[in-house]
Amino acid sequence: MADPQLTVRDLTVRFPTTRGVVEALNGVNIDLEKGQMLGIVGESGSGKSVTAKTLMNLLPRTAEVEGEVFFEGQDVRKLAAEGKEHFWGVEMTMVFQDPMTSLNPVKKCGEQIAETLRYHLGRGKQEALEEAVDLLGQVGLPDPKKRVHQYPHELSGGLRQRVVIAMALACQPSLLIADEPTTAVDVTVQRNLLNLLDKLREERGMSMILITHDLGVARGRCDDVAVMYAGRIIERSATETLFSDSRHPYTDALLRSIPRIDQPSHTRLEPIPGRPPELITPPVQCAYAPRCRFAQPNCLEEIPDVQGVKGMHEFACFHPANTDRGREALATNVAAGKSAAGLAITGYAGGGA
Amino acid sequence: MSDHDPDLEPVHDDAGDVVVAGIDELPDDAVKKTLGWAFWVCLAWLGGLVAVAMLAPFLPIEDPTEFRVGPTNEGPSWSHWFGTDKAGRDVFARAVWGARISLVVGFFAITFGLVVGGTLGMLAGFLRGWVDQVISFIFFAVLSFPALVLAILIVTSVERSLQTVSLTLGVLSVAPVGRLARAQTLVFAEREFVHAARVIGAKNGRILVRELLPNVLIPMGALGLLGMGVAIVAEGGLAFLGLSIAGENAGSLSWGKLINESRSIRDLQNIPHVAFSIIGVMFLTILSLNFAGDRVREYTDVRETAF
Amino acid sequence: MAGSGTAPLRDDNPNVLVTVTDLEVEFPVGKGAVVHAVSGISFDVAEGETLGIVGESGCGKSTVAKSIIRLNDIKSGSIDYQGHDLAKLEGEALRKIRPDLQMIFQDPISSLNPRRKIRDVISEGLAVWGDEQGSWSQDRIEELMMAVGIDPKFGDRRAHQFSGGQCQRIGIARALALDPKVMICDEPVSALDVSVQAQVLNLLEDMKQRYGLTLLFISHDLSVVKNVSDRIIVMYLGKACEIGNADELYEHPRHPYTRALLASIPEPAPTVDPSDGDIEGELPSAITPPAGCRFNTRCQHATDICFTEEPQMQRIGDQDHYFACHHPVEVSVSV
Repeated sequence: MADPQLTVRDLTVRFPTTRGVVEALNGVNIDLEKGQMLGIVGESGSGKSVTAKTLMNLLPRTAEVEGEVFFEGQDVRKLAAEGKEHFWGVEMTMVFQDPMTSLNPVKKCGEQIAETLRYHLGRGKQEALEEAVDLLGQVGLPDPKKRVHQYPHELSGGLRQRVVIAMALACQPSLLIADEPTTAVDVTVQRNLLNLLDKLREERGMSMILITHDLGVARGRCDDVAVMYAGRIIERSATETLFSDSRHPYTDALLRSIPRIDQPSHTRLEPIPGRPPELITPPVQCAYAPRCRFAQPNCLEEIPDVQGVKGMHEFACFHPANTDRGREALATNVAAGKSAAGLAITGYAGGGA
Repeated sequence: MSDHDPDLEPVHDDAGDVVVAGIDELPDDAVKKTLGWAFWVCLAWLGGLVAVAMLAPFLPIEDPTEFRVGPTNEGPSWSHWFGTDKAGRDVFARAVWGARISLVVGFFAITFGLVVGGTLGMLAGFLRGWVDQVISFIFFAVLSFPALVLAILIVTSVERSLQTVSLTLGVLSVAPVGRLARAQTLVFAEREFVHAARVIGAKNGRILVRELLPNVLIPMGALGLLGMGVAIVAEGGLAFLGLSIAGENAGSLSWGKLINESRSIRDLQNIPHVAFSIIGVMFLTILSLNFAGDRVREYTDVRETAF
Repeated sequence: MAGSGTAPLRDDNPNVLVTVTDLEVEFPVGKGAVVHAVSGISFDVAEGETLGIVGESGCGKSTVAKSIIRLNDIKSGSIDYQGHDLAKLEGEALRKIRPDLQMIFQDPISSLNPRRKIRDVISEGLAVWGDEQGSWSQDRIEELMMAVGIDPKFGDRRAHQFSGGQCQRIGIARALALDPKVMICDEPVSALDVSVQAQVLNLLEDMKQRYGLTLLFISHDLSVVKNVSDRIIVMYLGKACEIGNADELYEHPRHPYTRALLASIPEPAPTVDPSDGDIEGELPSAITPPAGCRFNTRCQHATDICFTEEPQMQRIGDQDHYFACHHPVEVSVSV
């Protein structure tokens, strides 16, 4: 099997803030094959956006970064330190959530795309503009010759996002990172945008990392899904496996807490109690333990290593859901009426029961 | 807490959704924002200045109007900290007595501006409609008028006393302060908590006072500190035109007037200590006001929306 | 798309609490143009019911919610609540009725005054109206805080010291303080993290049971709306296209737009065909909406009549299911 296209090892990122030093990422590991679509799912504070920004060299200067990032054999962190141009935006690009802020409101759409082509690929002015029209057509913008001369505010949210995608793809990148690309648009527009990304990905043999908080989006579109919590990837597997046979209690609890369209109305939801931890003090235990129904004493003393089959299903948990160890742990907690972290537990169906 | 009334038991569901304390702990304000040591230094200067100014009649300093308390035009010395001016008067004493007037003028002017301008601005921003149109027009008209000319017009048509000079500057500050108050009110009036107050059934007056005022007050307060500095300088400007408070007694001395007395080229060359010692004091005061105002504004900045 | 027609009004139901008839709301946008935010919608809500209103941006669902509590002006139509027409009340008469109709807002943090203690925020309603004794007791505030899951000892803190989910709970406590009959929830969980949404949704349901509330729940999220609602209205560009019992509507959607929505969600509903979601084009302007059925610019089934005649709401048999379409999709109805 060929080497992965993107390898991230032990990526750790810290920021100084007014509240102390925040450890936004704590040992993130990613392997991405060429042409693969990886979904990264997490809630706010999980570190998913920071991961994307680290890969794209968009962190503030005060950030401390440790670990390795290799892309197609190149040491990305070294390139960042050297101030390499023509890498980000060319081989690896990004699409952001809010098209209103990713587009310059006082520049015409076509000009913003043409700018990329001129800067990175050295195209001439006229040539770049013509290519921009072509790109707008490729992303499904109706009437590209007219749109190329329009300003962002003249387009709807969905169309603006297509312009952003066109900009990102202008230099034929091998990897596209999309950070919540459809969160700000309506569901019908979302579907069309995701279809577009699928189509472009296939046509160009591009790999993609899709970052989202919406599990449904990840399920529908990704080959593999990784779940992030408190700055770590706590589970990763092929998509269907994650949804039908998850291991990490957080993934399991998340899936149970979301209303589903195929459930009848007034189905009681199972929320996850509490909130994600502040990332200020470095962790000495499993970050999810305080909210975990399966928590046992050792969860409060050590950080679980990643186990499982690499490339198939990996997770970081001592007492995973849907396993015997997990079922035992849960039974212990139900009998005691609380988890090792003091969380009140009443019996509930699931988590491997 | 009631004695085990089942109706008051915390609600929680089968999933063990913890409800009272425990896991739902609030984030501590782990690192409290501080005002910084520089802020306190500024506050100390201002506080000290005010104290000295208020206590001037009781302090063991020279009479500021007495001639020839020392040799004329002498530089700073141990007996006369700021030296003496061309009439042999103690400059330090004059600075102290000048502080009384300058601070009072600055304080009164900006307070007038905050109260009148702030009220008008808030009414305009909250009630909108014709009230806003009228008030905004007044602001616009006043601001379009050259401030200096307006000041001269007012001041020359009445007796030039502490009250009239302060009032003039106060009137001049109504429009800029009012515009800021209006802008702030417009922003806050759109926030959902104001809608919420209306939905609760609060009347306009209550919404203005309970919901909007505490929010608008903070940026206005910061502006007030800055504005006081502006007012002190403005009084200085009037003094340069000979339009500040009339009279030569101790109660009519302001920093502006003092600087004005010794600002000719010859004076600046021969006896710079007179003008510059006053300028120095004024500079430190205004710097302190500006810095303190800015620190207050930053310190009270809180996260206000989820987006 | 209809919205016209009062077919969905259940005149025979004695428990109906709020009846909205032919509501129209417009907003001026300068140069004489107006945005037709809501153009003739009629529905009712029965006591103890949760009515969900779902639709994409620009459909008017938030405007409907705000119109009921008169946070904006109404062009025409009536809103009947216990014999009062809320659309026509003014001044003191309107204010007196406010305690009965409370609201939860979308942005949990901005819905709380950043400068006030949350204890005071929650008790504001009582401060304005006073409870039966003419004053209110701290006990009542503590009871409310505990009911929504905030420890009363944190009552002296301010909004920015709480998380989004906690702020939303505080907002719920504030709304409950006045013992309302109707709670209007305007996208109450859209700004919250996924795992926190369930906490708040459960809380709303608990509060509804405990205090006997009637809920109006606005959201763009189809799964969330189905979960909380008894009945649902689907809106598009200021009009209602389908109204009915929640399970029934999602099981047998008749209107092409409803079907498009259900087919567009990332994990499409099994009750529609994925091709139903293939609607192209953009949302038309709300300033000059299409004539006839407003969905005609994007509908796969549109014919001539859809461009000239606005479809009226009609009922399916005697079911709690109404739609407004010239060419409703036929579905097999399970017996």
